[in-house]
Amino acid sequence: MTWKLFSLLLEASLMTILVSAVSILMGLVMAIVLSGLRMSGSRVADAGAGVFISFFRGVPLLVQLLLIFNLLPVIGITLPSLATAIIGLSLCTAAYQAENLRGGFEGVAPGLIESAEMAGFTRMQSFIYIRTPIALRMTFPALVNEAILILKASSLVSVVGLIELTKMAQNLSASTYRPLPIFAAAGVIYLAINLVVAAIGQRAENALPGLPGK
Amino acid sequence: MSFDFAVILAKLPQILSGLGVTILIWVGGTFAAVVLGFVVATLRRFGGRGIEVILRAPIEILRGTPFLVQIFLLYFGGPYIGLRLDPWLAGLLGISIYGAAYYAEIFRAGFQSVPVGHVEAAECAGLSRNQIITAILLPEMALLVLPPALNMSVILLKETALLSLITVPELTMTVQAIGSQQYAFVESLVILALVYWALVELANWLGRYAERNLSKLSA
Amino acid sequence: MQMDRGAYGRVDTSQAKAPEGPHREFDMRRQLIAAATGAALFASAMAANAQDALDRVMDAGVLKVGTETAFAPFDFIDAGEHTGLNLDVFEEIGKDMGVEIEWITLDWTGVLPGLEAGRFDVVAGPATITADRMQRYRFSSPIAEATVAILACADCDIETPEDIAGKPVGGATGTAQLAQLREFAATLDTPPTSIGEYVSFNESYADIAAGRIVAVANSLPNIAFVAQQRPEVFKVVKPAFGTPAYFGYPGRIEPEYATLMDKIDEILLAMKADGRMATLQEKWFGTTFDMPDYIIEPKI
Repeated sequence: MTWKLFSLLLEASLMTILVSAVSILMGLVMAIVLSGLRMSGSRVADAGAGVFISFFRGVPLLVQLLLIFNLLPVIGITLPSLATAIIGLSLCTAAYQAENLRGGFEGVAPGLIESAEMAGFTRMQSFIYIRTPIALRMTFPALVNEAILILKASSLVSVVGLIELTKMAQNLSASTYRPLPIFAAAGVIYLAINLVVAAIGQRAENALPGLPGK
Repeated sequence: MSFDFAVILAKLPQILSGLGVTILIWVGGTFAAVVLGFVVATLRRFGGRGIEVILRAPIEILRGTPFLVQIFLLYFGGPYIGLRLDPWLAGLLGISIYGAAYYAEIFRAGFQSVPVGHVEAAECAGLSRNQIITAILLPEMALLVLPPALNMSVILLKETALLSLITVPELTMTVQAIGSQQYAFVESLVILALVYWALVELANWLGRYAERNLSKLSA
Repeated sequence: MQMDRGAYGRVDTSQAKAPEGPHREFDMRRQLIAAATGAALFASAMAANAQDALDRVMDAGVLKVGTETAFAPFDFIDAGEHTGLNLDVFEEIGKDMGVEIEWITLDWTGVLPGLEAGRFDVVAGPATITADRMQRYRFSSPIAEATVAILACADCDIETPEDIAGKPVGGATGTAQLAQLREFAATLDTPPTSIGEYVSFNESYADIAAGRIVAVANSLPNIAFVAQQRPEVFKVVKPAFGTPAYFGYPGRIEPEYATLMDKIDEILLAMKADGRMATLQEKWFGTTFDMPDYIIEPKI
């Protein structure tokens, strides 16, 4: 394992981090929208969100990415590889995050919502300003966990043409015929990134304000 | 572009054989992972501090790295240290070891959830360690452990799709191969997605059924 | 029939170099091309709503090329950099057309679907020109020989292609080379014990090195390169067992792509005529190939 090879892996891991970070944030926004749909009271919206969540949790990410990559152009949407990878990962993590958030939303004390509505908040306002922040705070550890899952899942995005850490390791392994040290090094980099994310998550969890009524 | 699903469905026997491999590796791998995970969790709980420290590292490594990297390491790196496995054996072993790390954590959490007082009371009553595990810990944690354990088995089912990348002739590899032979790429992916979706929903349904019955039993 | 040559009406300077033998029916092929092109032009006139691909590429100033990077020496990764014959050839094509080349790299299983989905304008690859694929894609003028032979472990007891009988072999999934290996295996009294399907040829080579399989079937230029890189691990088993075949760049068969593919052919033929192609072949294969200008009726 020369420094040259290792630095190539490190460089490629920046793509892993970029794709994962953007996907996590986009997925979080989508998950909040999905949660809103599920609690909107509209049966159609609830069912639609339910099918979405079930599908993206029920199909392997590898298949999802290939499907998005090949299906979108058929309906006239041709996006670059980076965008396709981010959309694929975001949709997948949105479904998981929506399930995580569900517990958080259910845990919001009904009294809080009632008092918000008495204070003149609309349903939408109480969803955005009261329930969502509390649900996010309650499920923060799950978000950190999901971030780590997505960092690992991003190892699949090479199937839509993106060269990230795992693909770079594959390429280098093919050109050097030394798969053992190269995949081991890639594993070490993933582990390091995930330990850092977990540590940051832990510190953030401690620094965040406590929950009302706890 | 027109869709032609018939050319894929015409290869139904091949698809079923791929599905069979997927289910075999999933069920076999999950079983091995549960057993291995339980052994590891028990060793960590009762094996003393030294064992606990030794076992923590591999679990963290397995949980902190992508499954894809693990199977590449096992399949392509293995032969360089004398470990030359057939694709399906590498796949089965990969799923088992990867799953075991997660099951070990699930069981660890399960052990922790049983109040210390229950175990202490049993110890005072003179029960042996084996008796404590089988009579106190296992039944009490079963209900708590079941949902995450079932969830993990569904995750393992989906992870088997990656074994197509090390030439295991499972569902993904089989259907994709049919798709490229028949030039019906999108159709093959749609069918692939639908089959996995159905399989996962079926597994979830069975899981909920098991949970309901178990909670009735213990109620 | 000269006037019927349609879009191929330019003077073909490399005709004299076309080899004899399997390509004798050259003039007939040319007529077939002319007829096909005529039909294509007619169809494209009908499909007035589809924008011409060449116009679109020229307007954008970018030619999008899809390929895999596990097909040395055509496309591969050397020290983290994408390199190979295809890069050099498309650099020339880009220069002659006055456009940038944008590379999109996928596993081979995703490349032809990506072309059909409109992800890119043409595929580098290259792919073996087969009758089956010609129903589906428009191939460029051939760029190399593609006849399939066996790559085996250097110290294995495999001296002729038939020696793979009763042993585990492999190839890359979705490739014409794998299809030929299967056909060849079916002719043996004892078939190979298994034929592994790999995502790319690189993984199959790695499995020879790892000792899981003893041989891989791939085209001569590819395996000659691999064996030359690592002679202590690999050897080329001669003679080639496959039917004589050629590599071309696959593009879309739809009429709106005809002008783009004609343009690429024009540049490739010019490169063959002025020696640029020979120089590149010498650089990447260590040898040059005699190639027909067009393949009309592939033998496979």
